[in-house]
Amino acid sequence: MQSMDLFQGKYIGTMDLYPQQAPEFNRVHPFYEHLRQGRFTTTRCKKCGSKAFPPRVVCPECLSDELEWVDLPTEGTVLVVTEEEVGVPLGFETPLIHALVDLDGQLKIFTRVVNARVGQLKEGDRVRLYVFPVPPVPMEKGRDLVQVERVYYAFEPVP
Amino acid sequence: MRRVCVIAGGMCKWGVRNASQRDMFQEAARACFLDNPRISNKDVDGLIVSSAYTERCSFQTHLAPLVAEHVGIKPRSVCMRVELLCASGSSGIITAYGLIKAGVADVVMVIGGEKLYMPQKWEVFYSEMASVDHDWDGAQGLGLPPAAFAMVAKQHMKQFGTTEEQMALVSVKNRRNGLNNPNGQFQEPIDLATAMNAKAIVRPMKLYDCCPITDGAAAVILACEEKAKELTDKPLVYIMGTGQASVHNMSANMPDWTTWVALRTAAQQAYKAAGIGPAQINVAQTHDCFTISEIIEYEDLGFCEKGEGGRFIQDGQSDFGGKVPVNTDGGLLSCGHPFGGTGIRQAIEITRQLRGDATRQVQGAQFGLTHNLSGFIAAHTVLIYGREA
Repeated sequence: MQSMDLFQGKYIGTMDLYPQQAPEFNRVHPFYEHLRQGRFTTTRCKKCGSKAFPPRVVCPECLSDELEWVDLPTEGTVLVVTEEEVGVPLGFETPLIHALVDLDGQLKIFTRVVNARVGQLKEGDRVRLYVFPVPPVPMEKGRDLVQVERVYYAFEPVP
Repeated sequence: MRRVCVIAGGMCKWGVRNASQRDMFQEAARACFLDNPRISNKDVDGLIVSSAYTERCSFQTHLAPLVAEHVGIKPRSVCMRVELLCASGSSGIITAYGLIKAGVADVVMVIGGEKLYMPQKWEVFYSEMASVDHDWDGAQGLGLPPAAFAMVAKQHMKQFGTTEEQMALVSVKNRRNGLNNPNGQFQEPIDLATAMNAKAIVRPMKLYDCCPITDGAAAVILACEEKAKELTDKPLVYIMGTGQASVHNMSANMPDWTTWVALRTAAQQAYKAAGIGPAQINVAQTHDCFTISEIIEYEDLGFCEKGEGGRFIQDGQSDFGGKVPVNTDGGLLSCGHPFGGTGIRQAIEITRQLRGDATRQVQGAQFGLTHNLSGFIAAHTVLIYGREA
């Protein structure tokens, strides 16, 4: 695109769909490292025991900064399904399917569901964590440019 | 504490505009001054600008001095921008109200709006993913609101028996009311069959169940009572109470999708401050970003019982002649929704209803209410206005 020539191929963080995951930019980077191991995790407060999602660096209940990583279920039950067949945002394909998923009573997340056809997903179906690579970030380290590999997650039907 | 009045209000034409953000701010300010020829820009001592996507769609920050320069206001009390996405306009009004009440400013223009249409349409859809928690909801492809509100609608239908027809009736009413606001985006009434047979966006939400993307701006001027008496010969409209509440932001932390706890809290706070209850409200402008939103708002604002929202629209209780006429100027569904402009547009319609000079008047209206929701139904903002009996 001609008008973008001035960027000379540079990475533009303000247009990045996915979060920065490098430890240099994000203190909850272990979440993404756990995703690579197939784990869905969050933080729990060592002081008061309360669990928050998304992961924190400060407990929202007692404001302690002593937190530990704990596992959440990687499977859940579908409560409500929505299917977008028109006008999905850049970076996503039609149909864009979302579901309100109950992670066995621990958390209800409204999340994307992949590997499902329109009309396939029903209330009561089981879905499981699905981890996939997303574009790396070319990050400046001194005079070098390093590629920060990244992952993100959605859910998929349990076959 | 001093009392605070709305003494002028105006908006530019809303829709797909061949105009920049700054063009529309100038048009809205001019319309606001034309509403009350007794006020000039020299009388205004403070300026609050409400805009959510100024950096994203106009690549412009530090907006308040830019707008001040363009509309010939030289602020000497307050000069700032306020942002709460879809409730940025109402938040600007609350900010000005508090500052005037406290004696920090006397006469403040609150002006808000957005330029949302970009040379290519994909960009605003993409930017919308920053309206929700970008790292956690945005990256799931959430942000464009239809999916979330479809999910809410499905649950409300299941729990309370709300029907697609009842939702469609909200859009029919608001499209009809849109004719009361010639500056609104749409001037085209629709019938029930058109609404019911429209293309699906995210089922059960169809085209007319959703508010559009809109360019536009609107402005009001607030003043302390003493200055208001000098600067207007129209009936005085007072801000009587306000409330804002939020109990979650990310979708995973929403306590209840069909009873909006934060809305109930914000409403109770505003009713308490105003010293009245929902039964005294004569006219309301609520946040009908989707038809289901307006139905839930009837319930959680206390206009009807929980689960009765569908019945409320069906029985004509939210139309002219009903219990509480809602969105008498067409709401978001007909006027459109330039985020920072919406709360101000609502204030303008309520002001005109209470002054007695609305296009279509709710006879004898004494108390009016405005409501915004913002983000993933994550914050609610309520204001109550009243005129001297």
